[in-house]
Amino acid sequence: MTGNEHISQEDLALHALQTLPEGEAAAVRRHLAKCALCRDELAVLSAEVALAGLSVMQHPVPAGARQRFLDRIAADAAVSKVSGKHEARGQVLPFLRAAWIPWAMAAALAILAILLGVKNDALNKELRLASIQVAHLKDQSAQARQVLDLLTSHSAQRVLLTAGKKSVEPTGRAIYLAASGSLVFQASNLNLLAADKTYELWIIPVDGKPIPAGLFRPDASGGASVVMPPLPKGVPAKAFGVTVERAEGSETPTAPIVISGATASTAGE
Amino acid sequence: MTFDSPNPVAPSERSLKSEHDPSDDLLLQRVRNGNQQAMADVFDRYGGMVYSVALRVLKDPQQAEDVMQEIFFQLWRKPDAFVQGRGSLCGWLLVVARNRAIDIVRRRKPSDSPDQVALPSKTNLASETERNLLMERVRDVLKDLPPEQQKSLEMAYFEGLSHSEIADRTGDPLGTVKTRIRLALIGLRKALVA
Repeated sequence: MTGNEHISQEDLALHALQTLPEGEAAAVRRHLAKCALCRDELAVLSAEVALAGLSVMQHPVPAGARQRFLDRIAADAAVSKVSGKHEARGQVLPFLRAAWIPWAMAAALAILAILLGVKNDALNKELRLASIQVAHLKDQSAQARQVLDLLTSHSAQRVLLTAGKKSVEPTGRAIYLAASGSLVFQASNLNLLAADKTYELWIIPVDGKPIPAGLFRPDASGGASVVMPPLPKGVPAKAFGVTVERAEGSETPTAPIVISGATASTAGE
Repeated sequence: MTFDSPNPVAPSERSLKSEHDPSDDLLLQRVRNGNQQAMADVFDRYGGMVYSVALRVLKDPQQAEDVMQEIFFQLWRKPDAFVQGRGSLCGWLLVVARNRAIDIVRRRKPSDSPDQVALPSKTNLASETERNLLMERVRDVLKDLPPEQQKSLEMAYFEGLSHSEIADRTGDPLGTVKTRIRLALIGLRKALVA
């Protein structure tokens, strides 16, 4: 490719891609400097290299990139304006240029201060929005806490409404979401227990052994609640039951079962 | 197929009025006079393409944005770096974006200044409609290339590998690699004349 020989199209292609080793690239450059034919060919190849860039999947510029760019050129333009110069846009005598330097620096600092002020305003706005969101979350959290306190408080009044005045049997209602392992259980009319005993709630899974789902003792009216006990997620239940156990609880249910109920999908089986 | 084929970014509303948008030459003339709006228009027109090429090479959004910002800022400071009449601004920006990104990947000094890239192109790439059509044609042409040509061009273009490095990777003779790259570029020429 050196001397008077023209450069091969292969090497020109690699040169256009800037992937020739430096030694070869230098030889190509020397030849191009004096060969219009190869320069023209390189120009055509460069256009083809540019075309390859059009094949890429298009992405929008990142959020804020445009504004960052506009801020940057605005700052640059302001500095150029104050200093009265721009390399490509005007000529200023050297001594005048030197005299403008302090002013240019002052202007640049002023612009920087303005930009920082704008940025500060934007951050303040974000902070205000974040504060509002936090306050909203606090409200929601307090409300959730209130519901939890109501469900679990021993001093809350629990009344079972029935059609007649006949004495009612112990009952319980479990609301269970297997996917998240969430459970709320409320019982009524339970008998009071000796101090060394406790009621224990059980989940009877579709497959496997009963899973303990919380210990509880009823209040004076026989009411009790178990709210969100720690449970594994994703365990479908076929029934729930309550047994009487030792005060410290048990890993397996002890007969007899005080109350029990099957889930809707298994109740008819 | 190793090159990206689909384009998930639909033509923006600007494409509907692109025929009435100022030409690249006019915008650059305004940029030379310090017109920030003209520079913003250039950025809007080509920012996504420049960013996409840099992102494809670097695979890092932050670095890709840095490359994009630097290229457009250079154009703002030195609009004469792009020589009108020597090619399309779009093609010039794409080449510079790719070269800058490869310089970063290869951890080497910037290997060319923008004024050393000359691109003749009679295609009106200032029009978004034209750009989108050309993109489609380029992708179609690349899709039809033999896989080994696609792969060689991809390694050279997006990874900046030399022909000897490509030969080492693929186990193909050096001459074969060179020919494949050349043929792939010739194939791309079809997109311009289609």
